[in-house]
Amino acid sequence: MSMHGMRGLSVFISEIRNCQNKEQERLRIDKELGNVRNRFKNEKGLTPYEKKKYVWKMLYIYMLGYDVDFGHMETVSLISAPKYPEKQVGYIVTSCLLNENHDFLRLAINTVRNDIIGRNETFQCLALTMVGNIGGREFAESLAPDVQKLLLSSSCRPLVRKKAALCLLRLYRKNPDIVNVDGWADRMAQLLDERDLGVLTSSMSLLVALVSNNHEVYWSCLPKCVKILERLARNQDVPQEYTYYGIPSPWLQVKTMRALQYFPTIEDPNTRRTLFEVLQRILMGTDVVKNVNKNNASHAVLFEALALVMHLDAEKEMMSQCVALLGKFIAVREPNIRYLGLENMTRMLMVTDVQEIIKRHQAQIITSLKDPDVSIRRRALDLLYGMCDVTNAKDIVEELLQYLSSADFTMREELSLKAAILAEKFAPDLSWYVDVILQLIDKAGDFISDDIWFRVVQFVTNNDDLQPYAAAKVKEYLDKSAVHETMVKVSAYILGEYSHLLARRPGCSPKEIFSLLHEKLPTVSTTTIPILLSAYAKILMHTQPPDQELQSQIWSIFNKYESCIDAEIQQRAVEYLALCQRGAALMDILAEMPKFPERKSSLIKRTEYSEGDTAEQSAIKLRAQQQTSNALVVTDQHPANGATSPVPVGQLSLVKVPSMMTTENDTSTDHPLSQQNGALSNVDPQPPSADLLSDILGPLAIEGPPGATVQSEHNAVSGLEGGSDAADGSAIVPVDEQTNTVQPIGNIAERFHALCLKDSGVLYEDPYIQIGIKAEWRGHHGRLVLFLGNKNTAPLVSVQAIILPPAHLKVELSLVPDTIPPRAQVQCPLEVVNLRPSRDMAVLDFSYKFGTNMVNVKLRLPATLNKFLQPIQVPAEEFFSQWRSLSGPPLKLQEVIRGIRPMPLPEMANLLNSFRIMNCPGLDPNPNNLVASTTFYSESRPAMLCLVRIETDPADRTQLRMTLASGDPTLTFELKEFIKEQLISIPTAPQSPAPPAAQPTPQIPPNDPAAILAGLLS
Amino acid sequence: MIKAVMVMNTQGKTRLAKFYEYLPVEKQQELLRGVFAVLCSRAENVSNFIDAESIFGPDSRLVYKHFATLYFVFVFDSSENELAVLDLIQVFVETLDRCFKNVCELDVVFNYSKVHTILDEMIFGGQVVETSSSEIMKAVEEISKLEAASNAITLIPKSASGWRSR
Repeated sequence: MSMHGMRGLSVFISEIRNCQNKEQERLRIDKELGNVRNRFKNEKGLTPYEKKKYVWKMLYIYMLGYDVDFGHMETVSLISAPKYPEKQVGYIVTSCLLNENHDFLRLAINTVRNDIIGRNETFQCLALTMVGNIGGREFAESLAPDVQKLLLSSSCRPLVRKKAALCLLRLYRKNPDIVNVDGWADRMAQLLDERDLGVLTSSMSLLVALVSNNHEVYWSCLPKCVKILERLARNQDVPQEYTYYGIPSPWLQVKTMRALQYFPTIEDPNTRRTLFEVLQRILMGTDVVKNVNKNNASHAVLFEALALVMHLDAEKEMMSQCVALLGKFIAVREPNIRYLGLENMTRMLMVTDVQEIIKRHQAQIITSLKDPDVSIRRRALDLLYGMCDVTNAKDIVEELLQYLSSADFTMREELSLKAAILAEKFAPDLSWYVDVILQLIDKAGDFISDDIWFRVVQFVTNNDDLQPYAAAKVKEYLDKSAVHETMVKVSAYILGEYSHLLARRPGCSPKEIFSLLHEKLPTVSTTTIPILLSAYAKILMHTQPPDQELQSQIWSIFNKYESCIDAEIQQRAVEYLALCQRGAALMDILAEMPKFPERKSSLIKRTEYSEGDTAEQSAIKLRAQQQTSNALVVTDQHPANGATSPVPVGQLSLVKVPSMMTTENDTSTDHPLSQQNGALSNVDPQPPSADLLSDILGPLAIEGPPGATVQSEHNAVSGLEGGSDAADGSAIVPVDEQTNTVQPIGNIAERFHALCLKDSGVLYEDPYIQIGIKAEWRGHHGRLVLFLGNKNTAPLVSVQAIILPPAHLKVELSLVPDTIPPRAQVQCPLEVVNLRPSRDMAVLDFSYKFGTNMVNVKLRLPATLNKFLQPIQVPAEEFFSQWRSLSGPPLKLQEVIRGIRPMPLPEMANLLNSFRIMNCPGLDPNPNNLVASTTFYSESRPAMLCLVRIETDPADRTQLRMTLASGDPTLTFELKEFIKEQLISIPTAPQSPAPPAAQPTPQIPPNDPAAILAGLLS
Repeated sequence: MIKAVMVMNTQGKTRLAKFYEYLPVEKQQELLRGVFAVLCSRAENVSNFIDAESIFGPDSRLVYKHFATLYFVFVFDSSENELAVLDLIQVFVETLDRCFKNVCELDVVFNYSKVHTILDEMIFGGQVVETSSSEIMKAVEEISKLEAASNAITLIPKSASGWRSR
């Protein structure tokens, strides 16, 4: 073989092997790389043999994990060598070291082509293999037709043709736009008549690639596939070399059945019958035997047949047969078959009508949860999770809890999360749910995320009957010697709120509860102490008549923490102390927490998001989706106390009431919510008003004029939106005017503009529905929640919400229920990912039916460019160096903009700030200029710095010159246009039409102050 | 599609690594280490499957087979049948065995070019090109003859296996 003759290479490998440690190995390799590099430099003296030797060494070094960044040229040049051994090395090593974008590959294209069209079959094979392994665009452009010819040529040996088939497949997969497969249906059908099983296997792979893209034109191949499968399954005319442990080519059987799964159905009754006969034969004729390899091969075929049966939606009888088979498999000794049995059973859950049969195997599946193989345990967990419903939830969850203590660490988190979700989804009664969660915290506290305990608190708060039960339960846990910190948190919360309900029970006096909690304080971290302090305050308040001793004890604790270094603890201590000293006022403010609005479990949401969007939808995902639409719906509730995302922290009031309630996302702090809770608890529960959303959106002044809202939120953008109605009429949103008889309330465009500047408010309202929005933006991600509130006493039906996203946004809307019950509110979370800069907008196509009125509106979603900005303050030096390095178009663009609404400079700065473009005062010495900076986040690129300079003319405030610079030409352009639109879309008079969006840059008169200033920064 | 073929010994030394989608060398090493970390903790008599998504990302599967001092690992996506890939590993090993007469780790180390040749006759651009061990051998022997025409063959003597295996 090529290297046997190479003594130097063998010696080198031995030396590497003899190295005592990694350091020695590195030294030896560095030495060798230096040597090879030197030899390549004086290429003249190099014989082809030596070149070959060095190239093999390079591959060896590369395999060991060292980067080889030279010698590529020499490697590629070996491809052109006349003798076989050198050529072979060239091809093999090139396909390992280089990728499709490598420049040197271009040099080889001619040689490769000559080898492919030449007469030497060995060379053809080498060339095809390299092209197939790399599969570059240029290869596709120049070689695809030649490869197609080889595949169809009758004079070529099978050896070459099977490689040509796969080479074509690879080129097609990587560059479907270049490789032309029009009219291939006939050729493909012809290829399936091939007798040689090697060529047929490759052709079948090619067919799979083609039908997966477009099955319609390949109908003619379908009966041929069935015929091939029949031939193999009946073992007719299968040569010995393609029989593997007695099974006629399992690979070809599997591939053929794969191809069949890409056709949606089989219409021809004869073909269908033949296929089902074959499948039946496979299902029934496969036994578990002693020989492992034979077993694997026969079951490879069998499992593929099962998948095909599921796909074809066979009659129930055959399905039950399949489940029975799977039931047998999950109990066999052979671990691979157990594994696949469980996996396929999970897939089977998607098929209707078989769940009941699967449930019969529950005991065996639970046994698999204790399998010695972690891979099998995982599959068993998936299956149990997928098959769980109200009828078996108790059994399954209790099994999971039992297993939790012995489960390996890698699985505990997943296990506890799944147990928590199932307990919530299928709880037969809520006390059982509380038991399960507390057990989870007790057994695997480290793996319990905050969402899990937030959720249990939420349930307890909303269910009066549950409160004494939960309080008694957590007290039991606290009595234990070792208590997990999460247990302390949840106990402190629940006991603070509800321990007074236990007051008459032995050991549950306020004092006893207090000391039970206070015992834990020295053992907990600073995040738990605030919850304990809140609990103390609550206990104190509930102690009637007041207990002087307890009071002084608790006051002294508050006193102690008044000077705590942790701001959160300190603040609570100060506030509680002040409150306590006010006597009766305490009662109002620390009153019991109001009920939470029903919301979708963040746990369930989390599992939905974590499921990747692979082609094969898992049964779990499907079922989770079916569940959510129920979970979303809310019946009438008290005024809400939580909101889905924090409101601006700037509005924090002084009062702080215990609350750790943000189940929606674990990163948000509890400040804003606690503030809301506190504020709301002063208010008597009121009957729901027509404006349902005021509950949720709380202090955000929905009904007020948008201008006022903006002002209060950003305390600067005075009156910006003041007179915008008319001018914006052109942009008014039902993008597509429907003949809706229902008139919207308020100006949609205005509402949209307000939402561009802030993150929550009403997007749309009419007499029947109110659509509110709350958004949170982080980097290139956005999380929006749509609140659909039915304002009436009759349900809204046929509710549909479709997002029409522009190309630059990935938008994912969770399921919207078809019906919104009377006076109910539904929350629909929406995930947005920004891919690249663009001003295009996502549109929400929303429709519903009320009585006979069909309403359809198209609403722009406020996922505008500025939402993906993060203000940043750039120091002067850096600003100037960046400004200088971004010289001229397309990275730096300048434009004179006219028709600006006149405004003082500070106002303009505030406007920019409200778009998250941060004013950098002091950078530009000219008081009429404004310099600002921001960063833009998108998925495709790291955060991108954007610099803005605006030069105004004090003599004419309707024009200005703007210069924008960033490292991305599209971003520069889009952001410039965006700012421009914002500056000119605010008209001076209500009547004036909005000026055209794009204006050509006019010549600057020489005495223009802007021109005078021009050279200053550039 | 098959994404990668790896052969490593029970100490974690890579003996062959072929990726059918280009990856930078650091990433390759990271994956190899990730796979070894899982493999070395697996007992005997368990299934041949491990959870690959945590190492290779979504839509990836992994089967492996353990022979003497070597792990043979194939990584692929959901378009392949797990057991069929497992069969393929068997074909690969059987072919190596035919080729080297009782293959051992050292054969793979010192003849890695031949191992590459065999693999290329079996897997092509991530797809199975030949499943018959005898057909693969035929192709490989043909190549050997061509080599012989230009080189004098000196096989590495089996006594080399006495060398310390590292």
